[in-house]
Amino acid sequence: MIRAENITLGTRLLDVSLHLPKGSLTAVVGPNGAGKSTLLLVLAGLLKAQGSIAWMGEDLNHITFPERGRRLAWVGQDLSAEFAFPVREVVAQGRHAFGDDGAFVAGAMQAMDIAHLADRAVTRLSGGERRRTFLARALATDAKIQLWDEPTANLDVRHGLDVLQLAAKLRDEGRAVLISLHDLRAALCFDQVLVLDRGRLAASGKPDAVLNADLIQRVFGVKAHMGQEMILELP
Amino acid sequence: MRRAWAPSWLLALMTLVLVLSFMGSLALGEVRVPPSEVLAVLMGRGEGLARTVVLDFRLPRALVGMAVGAGLAASGVLMQSFFRNPLASPGLLGVSTGGALGAVTALALGWASNSVFALPAASIAGAFLATFAVMALAKREASAEHLLLAGVALNALFGAATSFILNLTAGQFEVTGQIVFWMLGGLENRTWAHVWMVLPGTIVGCLMLLPYGRALNLLSLGEQGAQSLGVNVRRLQWEIIALSTILTALATAVGGVIGFVGLVVPHILRLGFGPDHRRLLPLSMLGGAAFILACDLITRFLPGELRLGVVTALLGGPFFLWMLRRPS
Repeated sequence: MIRAENITLGTRLLDVSLHLPKGSLTAVVGPNGAGKSTLLLVLAGLLKAQGSIAWMGEDLNHITFPERGRRLAWVGQDLSAEFAFPVREVVAQGRHAFGDDGAFVAGAMQAMDIAHLADRAVTRLSGGERRRTFLARALATDAKIQLWDEPTANLDVRHGLDVLQLAAKLRDEGRAVLISLHDLRAALCFDQVLVLDRGRLAASGKPDAVLNADLIQRVFGVKAHMGQEMILELP
Repeated sequence: MRRAWAPSWLLALMTLVLVLSFMGSLALGEVRVPPSEVLAVLMGRGEGLARTVVLDFRLPRALVGMAVGAGLAASGVLMQSFFRNPLASPGLLGVSTGGALGAVTALALGWASNSVFALPAASIAGAFLATFAVMALAKREASAEHLLLAGVALNALFGAATSFILNLTAGQFEVTGQIVFWMLGGLENRTWAHVWMVLPGTIVGCLMLLPYGRALNLLSLGEQGAQSLGVNVRRLQWEIIALSTILTALATAVGGVIGFVGLVVPHILRLGFGPDHRRLLPLSMLGGAAFILACDLITRFLPGELRLGVVTALLGGPFFLWMLRRPS
């Protein structure tokens, strides 16, 4: 679905190549400042970098803006909102490139558990509610590629699990989902893990192969004890 | 949601307010002309004093006022969306004073007497200078403090430059008088020449803006998000910045510095009818026009021939302070 080769952007990203196949769920992990958000911006076409990027086999530079909006949805970390748009209208913005307002909006609000906030102004939401609103806007696009930058930050346990479960569902529908995360334990449930370290791709592959104690020590500088853990799951 | 424009009853109501203030500004003043006679004159009948007062003095003044109000209010809406900041407006960011500096320069150098286009052209140049300066000083998504401080600095700078030119022209009473006019802002002695200078451009600019509502909604919630949803953000930003600067410059070229219109009108309408730009843009244009006409009427009834720019500042200043105090 999305293929990037030799992506370099100053010292923020150094020669990163990756492939997100159809029906895949990929996590990007790495310390603060490793370049996770930058990578997502570049892949989403929101930040120019050297190297080549193709969405669905087509060079990104040849895809028009509205078509980009239909193919890929991106959710950033900036949750600021200065103007009091009702939640429903924000979610409906996901349909901008399609020119309709109705489709998928109600479903997206349901999935993010914000249907009860539909008429509330975004300026009056908590951080977590606002993040769910912007995630719902991305869902409403029905895009085949979904890039979410730390979607579980400021979410409570329940809604954090909701988001991860939803990501797995989107993967099962044949989409490519890329999520940046700080929770290494959550990353263990993904199909593929990319580990970024100071702009470089330190490792990538199946999570149980990649996220070993050795790599975690090297990249994050912490000792990882595998084994005993508390497992949380949705009822 | 599916509607592209404001609900028709809301537009009708705002149009009614505008028509009433328009009729008021044609009928009221030192010489009272009854509404029936105003209508007769507008229909091409009527005679004598009433005809002269309405056609030669009040109609051009009202038309210029409407263009100025609509242009400034629309420009305010655009700047607020561009900077993602409800406090941004042509007056506070120095774009109006930049336009006035351009106009004053054209007057002082005598360009304005060579061609009717010299004045608006110089005003547009000054306004663009201010816009680029404020964009360079306060990068987008800069904090509100940054943006407003950049505006304070630019306003002071352009104000000082204007005063400097005023000093240089001391002795040339006609030029000095015109410069003071630009610094205070007003609609006195506006003629049909001013109408042609401002009205066509403002109408075209406002009509060009109406289809931008949806894209402005997206932009005002973040440019990267807007682009990810299919908006060509860079092109959109250039277009709205150009249009808002031109609208402000045209308004300034004929009315001088009239502050707070672009701040107060969109803000009140946003409080009342929500931030959806498909609604906010047309409502602000109509509301801005009505607001200027109402303020102009006030100048006719208060003692001492108060200037329009003074009235809008007296109303807008306290409002702005109230906005600053309000928790967001």
